[in-house]
Amino acid sequence: MTALSTLYSVIYQFGDNFAYLVLAALGLAVIFGMMGVINLAHGEFIMCGAYVTIICAKRGIPLPIAMLLGAVAAACAGVVIERLVIRHLYDRLFDSVVATWAISLIVQQTMLLVAGPSMEGISTPFGSFVFGEYSFSTYRAVLPIIALCVLGALYWLFFRSNYGVCARATIQNANMAQCLGLRTDHLYTLTFALGAGLAGLTGALYAPTMTAVPTMGTNFIVQAFVSVVVGGANVIAGTTPAAAILAVIQTALTASYGQLIGQIGLLLTVIMVIRLMPQGLGNLFNRTR
Amino acid sequence: MIQPASGAVSPTLRQPVLPRLLRLAPWVLAFCLPLVVDANASGNFAYYLVWAFAAVGLAAMWGQGGILSFGQTAFFGLSGYTYGIVTLNLGDGWLSSWSGLIIGLVVSAGGAALLGYMIFYGKIKGVFIGIVTLSVTLVLETFMAQTAGPQWVIGEARLNGYNGMTGMPPLTLPWFGGPVTLENTSFYYLVLVLLAVVYAFTRRLLDSPFGLALVAIRENPQRAEMLGIDIRRHQLLIFVLGCTLGGLSGALYTIWGSYITPSAMGLTSAAMPVIWVATAGRKSIGAAIIGTAVLVWLSQWLAIYGSEYALILMGAVLLFVVLAAPEGLLPFVSDRARWVFTRRPSKSRSFETQKRSES
Amino acid sequence: MSTTLLEIRGLTKRFGGAQVINGIDFEVSEGEIRCVIGPNGAGKSTFFKLITGEHRPTQGIIAFLGRDLAHVLPHERIRMGMSIKFQIPGVFPELTVRQHLQLGLHRAKDDSAATLDRLLEQFMLQKEEHVPAGKLSHGKKQWLEIAMAVSLKPVLLFLDEPVAGMSAEETHATGELIMRLREGGLTIMAVEHDMTFVKQVASRVTVLHGGRLFADGALEEILARDDVAEIYLGKKK
Repeated sequence: MTALSTLYSVIYQFGDNFAYLVLAALGLAVIFGMMGVINLAHGEFIMCGAYVTIICAKRGIPLPIAMLLGAVAAACAGVVIERLVIRHLYDRLFDSVVATWAISLIVQQTMLLVAGPSMEGISTPFGSFVFGEYSFSTYRAVLPIIALCVLGALYWLFFRSNYGVCARATIQNANMAQCLGLRTDHLYTLTFALGAGLAGLTGALYAPTMTAVPTMGTNFIVQAFVSVVVGGANVIAGTTPAAAILAVIQTALTASYGQLIGQIGLLLTVIMVIRLMPQGLGNLFNRTR
Repeated sequence: MIQPASGAVSPTLRQPVLPRLLRLAPWVLAFCLPLVVDANASGNFAYYLVWAFAAVGLAAMWGQGGILSFGQTAFFGLSGYTYGIVTLNLGDGWLSSWSGLIIGLVVSAGGAALLGYMIFYGKIKGVFIGIVTLSVTLVLETFMAQTAGPQWVIGEARLNGYNGMTGMPPLTLPWFGGPVTLENTSFYYLVLVLLAVVYAFTRRLLDSPFGLALVAIRENPQRAEMLGIDIRRHQLLIFVLGCTLGGLSGALYTIWGSYITPSAMGLTSAAMPVIWVATAGRKSIGAAIIGTAVLVWLSQWLAIYGSEYALILMGAVLLFVVLAAPEGLLPFVSDRARWVFTRRPSKSRSFETQKRSES
Repeated sequence: MSTTLLEIRGLTKRFGGAQVINGIDFEVSEGEIRCVIGPNGAGKSTFFKLITGEHRPTQGIIAFLGRDLAHVLPHERIRMGMSIKFQIPGVFPELTVRQHLQLGLHRAKDDSAATLDRLLEQFMLQKEEHVPAGKLSHGKKQWLEIAMAVSLKPVLLFLDEPVAGMSAEETHATGELIMRLREGGLTIMAVEHDMTFVKQVASRVTVLHGGRLFADGALEEILARDDVAEIYLGKKK
């Protein structure tokens, strides 16, 4: 029984790390992979989703709806930012990095002024359960499953829906897509909103597990960037295996040697991947197609 | 996108209107500054200039070579911590402090060579270089932040996590009556002299055939390769130079304040050199120096007098620059000034036919 | 007996299932102006890219000055004495004409002003010396490209469709330029569609068709052949 519960504990850890990595990275990967834009305001979309969720939940709106509202709010913010700023910068991607960082700074500081240094959060739902010698948070045990559902929905969106086909066509050859009558500017807006909405969803999902501070987005940034570096630009075939592998490494090392070694392990993995597979894991899949 | 009318390399071609004398003026002013302000103020001015090295490095890498690196602060921290480790172990003498500085630079150069090798010989290009360097910086910060425990010690020097490493000795020079500590005015002159040397060296390098090759690589890497230019080697070399200059900033910062912490490598800090250089004008290392000094001064001033809105204002300025004056503020202003004086359009508009970067 | 500069044996290239180049044997000797012609889809572009190193052969050997190019990187091939001018002008928009030539001359270890001036004269670019290349006309851009390729002081100059997009006068002027280069000791190999140009400059002509070597010989010989005219569907002699 002890062995089983220890095993489950490891699985739980892995799932927790995996969910965190994947959810943190998805919004960033979509925007980067589909449009080549490094969105340094990614953390702020996460923060937006979290804040909206908390505010709605405290007003009495049921939690799942509040989370949905959080994601939608972030997506709307994405639309606004894309139309005002990003769309001028598609032909100068380096400048989009700088611009999104500026937006991130403005949003963070404004949030600090408006909402104060922290806001009372909401509690983690579902409580905890006990297995063997350990107790686990039910909510965090469920998160990996939610993450997989989100991935599944994304896969369907990219490969089975009309939007997906149009989006992929535009990414591969925007001129040609336009000649075929596709409204590429609408597609870019939609895609950016999708990335922002995914970030908002992440914030919403993790809102019950952390304190709401205006800088909370930065907690996710490191994991997000690391996953994108290891996974490459491909969202489904890159980020997911990347998150899985990184989660395995982090879990294994943390379990044996502690948190810090887990972090070091991540760093070393990133370095190795940069050296051996510079375009990320996603490229492997590209070549076998 | 607006392209400047003349090549990005030779200063005489780039600014035919500004006579050479005018370009010497800022240096003369800077050298005379301590004559009009007190020692403390000189020390503060030194602080603004300390960041200029990282900016020059980034301008050389990014403006000339097309390599956007978020790693300047990683090397900033690397050299800073190295100085601390060396001097806390070797003691207070002049040999210790200068060795700390030199070893700090060597460590940054070595680290940059390793990272650069993996990036350029691993065929990482375009904005992905930015992602990779940012990741390295962030992970390095995360690592350093965890080092608060007493087991994290190298010799006598505790790494100390977010508490930061303190107590390292300043630079001293052996002198007849006893060692002279370089601080305030003397430190200011040291930084100024170093800056002048770095500027002159970098200027010559960027105007040389090596610099010309860098521009070619930036504009059309495939064509450059077909001219027999070894792209990877050129990129690696400028990357090592740029990052080492970032390290120089870090070491000097640590010397100035006797203090270094992982926040120097955080997400906000990592973006700062990019902000300064983008705002000032990345194609000119002179603009980068002036712009950085002004912006650092500005953020300090705002922090004291208008703290709440300070960063929002900076963000807004940056956004404006990116959207309206993408070549940077100084070129924007100087082009407008040139138009006013000569009534001739000084910029040519050429259509961007290719996406600037690949992912 | 002039030296063989480029030697190709049994060159084959497959992309997935498609056999684009099929067993080509080919040689370029010193002092020639060799034109490679052929109808669309004959494999000329791929052939060119195999020589420059952009593609790797599936089979066969490409040797330059007796050395197998199998693992030689593109920039190393340039150092060996090959120089390449691509079809699409790949000039550097912000650099001036002068700076373009300096790039090549520096690699050729000859930075003197005299050489640069001579190049400008040779390629009729004196007036545009300080003009950024992005502002040149198409024809001048092509000349700048060839000038850059020549500034490397190569042994063998490869031209991919050097007169594409040029008017009749520009084409003729380019032809004259190429002949003068040959007089100066340069060997030239060009892939080209434009038969007027080919007739003006070529000493030998190679015809590619369906990925194979269809015909190879002196200019007059090839022009006289009916089967060559036939495969060109619509091209007049």
